[in-house]
Amino acid sequence: MASGANFLETLDVTKRFGGLTALDHVTYAVKEGEVRGIIGPNGAGKTTFFNVITGELKPTSGKIFLKGEDITDLSPHLICQKGLSRTFQLTLVFPEMTVYDSIWVGVNLRKRWPWNPVVSAHHILDVSQRTQEICELVGLTEKMNELAYNLSYGHQKVLEIAMALSTEPSVLLLDEPTQGVSPQETDNISKVIEKLSKNMTIILIEHSMDVVLRLCHVITVLSEGRVIAEGRPEEISKNEEVQRIYLGEVS
Amino acid sequence: MSMIFGKIVEKRPIVFYVAIVFLLLFLVMGVTLPKGARSLVIQMMIFSILGMGYDLSLGFTNQCSLGHSVFFGAGAYGVIFSIMYLKVGLLPSLSFSFVAGLVFAVITGVISVRLSEAYFVIVTAIFFAVFHLLAMDMTWLTGGDDGLSIQLPALSLGFGKLSLYDPLVNYYFVLAFLVLSYLILDRIVKSPMGKVFISIRESEKRVQFLGYNVFRYKLIAFILSGMFSALSGGLYALTLRYGSADFFSFHWSIMPVVWCLIGGLGTLVGPWIGAVIMSLFQYYVSAWWTYYLILFGIIILLILRISRKGILGYIISRRLT
Amino acid sequence: MGIVNMAHGDIYMAGAILTFYVVSTLGNFWLSLVVVPVVIILISAPMERFVLRPYEGYHSSSMIATVGISFIIQQIALGTYGGIPKKITNPWPISFNFLGVDYPGYRFLVACISILILAGLWLFLYKTSYGILVRASMQDREMASAIGINVNQVLVTTFVMGSVLAAVGGILAAPINQVSYLMGNDIVLLCFIVVIVGGLGSLKGTLIAALSLCSLEGMMASILSPTQARAAIFVIMIIVLMRRPQGLFTE
Repeated sequence: MASGANFLETLDVTKRFGGLTALDHVTYAVKEGEVRGIIGPNGAGKTTFFNVITGELKPTSGKIFLKGEDITDLSPHLICQKGLSRTFQLTLVFPEMTVYDSIWVGVNLRKRWPWNPVVSAHHILDVSQRTQEICELVGLTEKMNELAYNLSYGHQKVLEIAMALSTEPSVLLLDEPTQGVSPQETDNISKVIEKLSKNMTIILIEHSMDVVLRLCHVITVLSEGRVIAEGRPEEISKNEEVQRIYLGEVS
Repeated sequence: MSMIFGKIVEKRPIVFYVAIVFLLLFLVMGVTLPKGARSLVIQMMIFSILGMGYDLSLGFTNQCSLGHSVFFGAGAYGVIFSIMYLKVGLLPSLSFSFVAGLVFAVITGVISVRLSEAYFVIVTAIFFAVFHLLAMDMTWLTGGDDGLSIQLPALSLGFGKLSLYDPLVNYYFVLAFLVLSYLILDRIVKSPMGKVFISIRESEKRVQFLGYNVFRYKLIAFILSGMFSALSGGLYALTLRYGSADFFSFHWSIMPVVWCLIGGLGTLVGPWIGAVIMSLFQYYVSAWWTYYLILFGIIILLILRISRKGILGYIISRRLT
Repeated sequence: MGIVNMAHGDIYMAGAILTFYVVSTLGNFWLSLVVVPVVIILISAPMERFVLRPYEGYHSSSMIATVGISFIIQQIALGTYGGIPKKITNPWPISFNFLGVDYPGYRFLVACISILILAGLWLFLYKTSYGILVRASMQDREMASAIGINVNQVLVTTFVMGSVLAAVGGILAAPINQVSYLMGNDIVLLCFIVVIVGGLGSLKGTLIAALSLCSLEGMMASILSPTQARAAIFVIMIIVLMRRPQGLFTE
């Protein structure tokens, strides 16, 4: 039974690929406004977890609830429309579209104009306004008219986040938003996430312990598809099993 | 306060100017060219419409269909049947083409569009094969290979009647439809819906996770593409005063792809370039070498080698860097 | 490989035409099974390297490039062999009488050879170490090259093998059907359909699809006209794909 108090919740979710169990009876609950971290070694099933929640994969068993509603069998675009948005570990940007246009695509859907082929979107002020706001929020205003493939990797990561934001999510899933970027950019992205956390629920997959410890209220540790620990940052960093997993790991 | 959508302004004018240049040339050539060349240009214009329609599918939503000959043939027979059996006028017959394109595109699209890339290509090819075979077999309906000829009704405009049998009238009639089609398709492509098409081409997965029902959009693009391809088929039938099962042949499925890839994918005007080059080539080279298709093949390979996005794509990318 | 090779049918045709030349100059049909594959290897290897390789990942471009090649091969055939279809004499004009029905010996032989070839192919792909390399490269090219597989070599080999198989098909078909420069066009679509309906990547699927397709067509041809029978099986294939978009058997 889904508890009404939980914003996003998975009940006993298992995902198997043939003989491989990627997620093993994962029960997970997020309250509104929380910033949650998910950490774990490679192959632990973190991205698979996101894939199952967002509808890209169907769980072998178990259920997923968003604000009390069962979203287990919905297709990805519907889940997104319900307020769940994500970024991808390998950035999925629109190479030959500008930053502005990339963000515009998501905002456009929210403002319900896509069916009108005659009126040029030039004149739709609130769409353009919102797009600019998001650009400012993530700090991409200068790059607004750059084509996405011309952006540096760090900026692309930020664009990913901006695109996820364009759908006005209530829950934002970030899949390794600071992977592969410089320390300065990591800092920048952390600040953005902090700013966002005031208005929305965020779940963060991360390898960088600094980011996770700094931003998250609660951290969940996954290993081999199972939740092995969950708690506040201080508890987790002292947890012996977590330390064992991470000390044995090049991260 | 109005923002210009993405400063792809560098990209826009070039395509736009090329279109203007073409249209002006077409405008002038109608009166200045000798008869043979003029009918060649009429063909080029019709092929441009076919190519533009196809570009909407391949160039804007990355759907590489091999079944567009179905729409071309359907459009041609739409004109022929409506004139032969329903005795309609010229312009109404073309609206039958348009509708025929819509119907066939819906039927084929609903089945094919949901399939992933390679499967889509082959299922659309199966549709081509089915309709081609049926068209050739049902000679009582289509006239088979020999086809059906029609007598063209007069074109009645507000101020009088014109006959398409007059080559000049035929020429400017087709040109008018080219201009009209370009304006409509350009509007569509620049509209919000068009932008969504482009984003689907760029990353289908991403668009899905922005909340869009991607299938719906791809289907719409496919249907629009089919409708304009059918329109070109109708114009072709009117110009030739004839239609046959041959209009469903593979040639009409594969040539639009060649035109788009050579001229420039995703530009609307690229296929014009492709159609012109290929038509000129066919017309002149076939005269002195029977095996001109070998050169055809070589040109295709060469142009694709230089730029995967065709001539126009190459020019645009040079300008951007 | 992700490439729709429109010239595949023309390689089949080239096999048949070369067989014709072998038979008319050397007098022996069976020699062509030795000579023709060698010629085909010499043609298809550079084809893959110079024409197909540059377009990896750009499916429509590679398809059109193969269309270009198809034009070239067909026209060369037309120029050298001529437009008139010719026949090759049946190399084994015996017929078996089995349960009251006469079976042509040569066709029976073709069936046996085909089974042998398919078995050999299956053994190669699933039982040899090189076969594993091939399957790995097909599944994930980047990963394969990351673990040291010479992916380019595998690609050339696979393509050449595919072409040789097509040519052998042409050799075997030559005595049965007439040899003409347009042979490729008829067969290429059937070939694609069989592969797709059988399921991309599944040998078993292709075999089953091919057998069922031909049997169905044969049965239909007794009630309908040959053209209608062909159209009917196409429609059936569409329906099959509607129900199972990924084909009957998948890897």
